Amino acid sequence: MSTTPRLKPPTPTSTPDFGSFLGYIGQTTAAFFDLYAEYWQRGVLPPDLKETTRLRNARITDCGY
Amino acid sequence: MNNRAATVSETSPQTALLEPLFAARPELWTRFQTFYDSLWTAGQISRRVLEICRLRMAAIHGCDPEWRLRTPDVFLTDAEVGALRTGNFAEFDHYERAALELTEKFPFQHHAITDAEVKAVEDGYGSAAAVALLTAVAFFDVSCRWQQVLTPSAST
Repeated sequence: MSTTPRLKPPTPTSTPDFGSFLGYIGQTTAAFFDLYAEYWQRGVLPPDLKETTRLRNARITDCGY
Repeated sequence: MNNRAATVSETSPQTALLEPLFAARPELWTRFQTFYDSLWTAGQISRRVLEICRLRMAAIHGCDPEWRLRTPDVFLTDAEVGALRTGNFAEFDHYERAALELTEKFPFQHHAITDAEVKAVEDGYGSAAAVALLTAVAFFDVSCRWQQVLTPSAST
């Protein structure tokens, strides 16, 4: 697995990381974070269960982010 | 898998499939629809490339409902559709093959994706398109998994 960024950031002064790369798809990114906020802020699942499953998924997929 | 194609006229082809899964969370569905439609309408990568990657993902997962959908404005030949089902990418051009090779590894071999494979997509379509494609492929993967977990008959 690569340990260095695979793309240049959208602006030369940005740090090349996951967050800056999402700047390439601004409309989609904004829509995603609106969705994500709704998921986390409301619903019938308790926040700690959501967080537990999120962390478990990160371990399973080996996602350090 | 059943090859009988269904055509969906919405902006993104999967909305009819996914909407029932969100029945208990209509406010979440509205936001998801906006997000998912943007993958198809934002324009960083062509709908044809998105469609071939979506169908290949459906074939990898054996997700029949996803496979039977067709994006209305994307024409694929019978040979191309057959190639997407079997995973033989010779029918496609160089950069489409690069997109398909990323798709192939995404669901179960994401750590095996190489720098060269990402660069190949970037070289063909640009940096914004590479990010758009990888985002879309991630949610094609999600869509198939959701359908198969929540509606077991979706598997073949």
